[in-house]
Amino acid sequence: MDLLEVKNLRTTFRTEDGPVTAVNGLSFSLDAGETLGIVGESGSGKSVTALSIMRLLARNATVTADRIALRGESLPAKSEAEMRKIRGHRIAMIFQDPMTSLNPVLTIGEQIAEAVRLHLGLGPREARDRVIEMLNKVRIPQPEKRLGDYPHQFSGGMRQRVMIAMALSCNPELLIADEPTTALDVTIQAQVLELMALLQSETGAAIILITHDLGVVAEFCKNVLVMYGGNMVEYGTAEQIFAEPRMPYTQGLLASLPRLDRSDRQRLEPIAGQPPNLLRLPPGCAFAPRCAYRMPICDQPVPLYDFGAGHLARCYLYDERARDQRPEAMRELPTIPAGTS
Amino acid sequence: MTSAALVEAKDLYKYFPIYAGLTSRHVADVRAVDGVSFTIQEGETLGLVGESGSGKTTIGRLLLRLLPVTKGEIDFEDRNILTMNRGDIRRLRRSVQIIFQDPFASLNPRMSIGEIVGEPIRIHGLAKGKDVDDRVRELLGLVGLQPYHANRYPHEFSGGQRQRVGIARALAVQPRFIVCDEPVSALDVSIQAQVINLLEDLQEKFKLTYLFIAHDLSVVRHISTRVAVMYVGKIVELASRDDLYENPLHPYTQALLSAIPIPDPVVEKRRKRIVLTGDIPSPVNPPPGCRFHTRCPLAFDRCKTEVPPLREYAPGHFAACHWVEEHDGKAPDLI
Repeated sequence: MDLLEVKNLRTTFRTEDGPVTAVNGLSFSLDAGETLGIVGESGSGKSVTALSIMRLLARNATVTADRIALRGESLPAKSEAEMRKIRGHRIAMIFQDPMTSLNPVLTIGEQIAEAVRLHLGLGPREARDRVIEMLNKVRIPQPEKRLGDYPHQFSGGMRQRVMIAMALSCNPELLIADEPTTALDVTIQAQVLELMALLQSETGAAIILITHDLGVVAEFCKNVLVMYGGNMVEYGTAEQIFAEPRMPYTQGLLASLPRLDRSDRQRLEPIAGQPPNLLRLPPGCAFAPRCAYRMPICDQPVPLYDFGAGHLARCYLYDERARDQRPEAMRELPTIPAGTS
Repeated sequence: MTSAALVEAKDLYKYFPIYAGLTSRHVADVRAVDGVSFTIQEGETLGLVGESGSGKTTIGRLLLRLLPVTKGEIDFEDRNILTMNRGDIRRLRRSVQIIFQDPFASLNPRMSIGEIVGEPIRIHGLAKGKDVDDRVRELLGLVGLQPYHANRYPHEFSGGQRQRVGIARALAVQPRFIVCDEPVSALDVSIQAQVINLLEDLQEKFKLTYLFIAHDLSVVRHISTRVAVMYVGKIVELASRDDLYENPLHPYTQALLSAIPIPDPVVEKRRKRIVLTGDIPSPVNPPPGCRFHTRCPLAFDRCKTEVPPLREYAPGHFAACHWVEEHDGKAPDLI
């Protein structure tokens, strides 16, 4: 059974300007122990997806889905009290900014202890031991002393390690890390990613890593889900996505990145235009207005095409019906029968 | 480098005092820039990289006299800008400009794009009346915006478009030297490439010289002629772009380069990563000797007491490291 199953997730926000569609029919699943990277640019719906699953969105959000299930149990069907027992226990989250996600008036010991006392029912003594154990695990020096310190007494990298200690303190089945290293310097990012990988191998937790950094995904993730305009546009293993991207957006994203390991001063190939306006998503492919291969058929809703070995892409370039509409250079592409969603 | 230096910084210091207590006693200093020398040649892009608190942004502001210097000298076209009078500084600001990191905070929300881009033209008396509007439209065209955008306000634009407005404003006075302070860090990847290409095109078209400040070493490799690496207020390595990336001498540069994930899982699997322990030291109380010795895997006794000077180990390749000096300019084998 899948650890997490999401089917046709749709999240809209009521705003003064009208409904904003942040997630638009997203489906994916995750195995136990898997590492899935969700990549996309600002406004592509990555964070809202995580918050929709956790049921942490504000009142102006409407979340609908055919299914959101953790080990087969429907999360939308849970009561708020039941949901509280899942959050921080079975599903834990790490946020981008460790300063604003830690409580500044509680010591870090109190904050970590709160989770283990609440979810694991530990007494004060045991909770303290567990806090020290966790701080040791994330390599905070002198944890017995540091647990009495407040968040502002820690550096950014240390705070993020405290967040990781807190998130993993109840042995979650799933850890959702939302841009966990974006606010950190690169040498500190390397420390935090190494630590997350180590702790994952120890605890067997599945990880959803939300990021805009394709380098971090290549280093850390087994599978990758690329989002654009609120929906998945490509999915596959990291090798498939980086070696053989099928969707023009993924291709464009990779071509627009300067590479540390390249000395040639090749001109970057940016993607033209601007990200989509979520107030007015196009009826068909959200990327079509910026796509160099745009065809008439792209104005219709796009199904997923299966390239084998789990590699999916949402693009009409591979559709039999679009064969005659393809740009000259693309005539020879293989065609693939359309999938369902 | 055969061409003359357009900008030269000589033994530059910038300390920010910290006051505390009821009497606001001067208790310590943030040593943001602590003895830094470099030159920028006409027409080149000097990349300045480093992590938070390394002093790179402060250097950019010192070069424009946006901050007073604690000690040292800055020459622009062989004239010390620190001894200039107000009139000279005003004229200097026509030659040196800056593009800021945050395209949201660096544009006045109450001014239209036309007013923002036209202001430097008016202040410096470069055009009058209707000519200002024509010039604004020309500048907007140069950075890939439309003439009608002049009547709009910053909130109507995306991050990438705003950064184009910031570039147009910098270009308005036809400068020779532009400090680009993290100009693409706040932008999405697909937009980042648009702005990098624009900066490169403008450099070629107007023979601009850039100081390109960034923490993203991939972007810096792409755009720079030479690169300086900073660590806690000091330059630890300075070399031509390819020398620095292909043959880094300083252990910190090596660690920094190895820490950056490359967007290719096949390459990533083969790479070795130097994961440094510990945090970046505070510039208020930097470690004695080499500032990197607290995290350096090669540190020995001398590193803890003696500050390593920036020495030239190959033509144009400078590093500040005792280990490298004692091994005759050999690069340590950390990776």
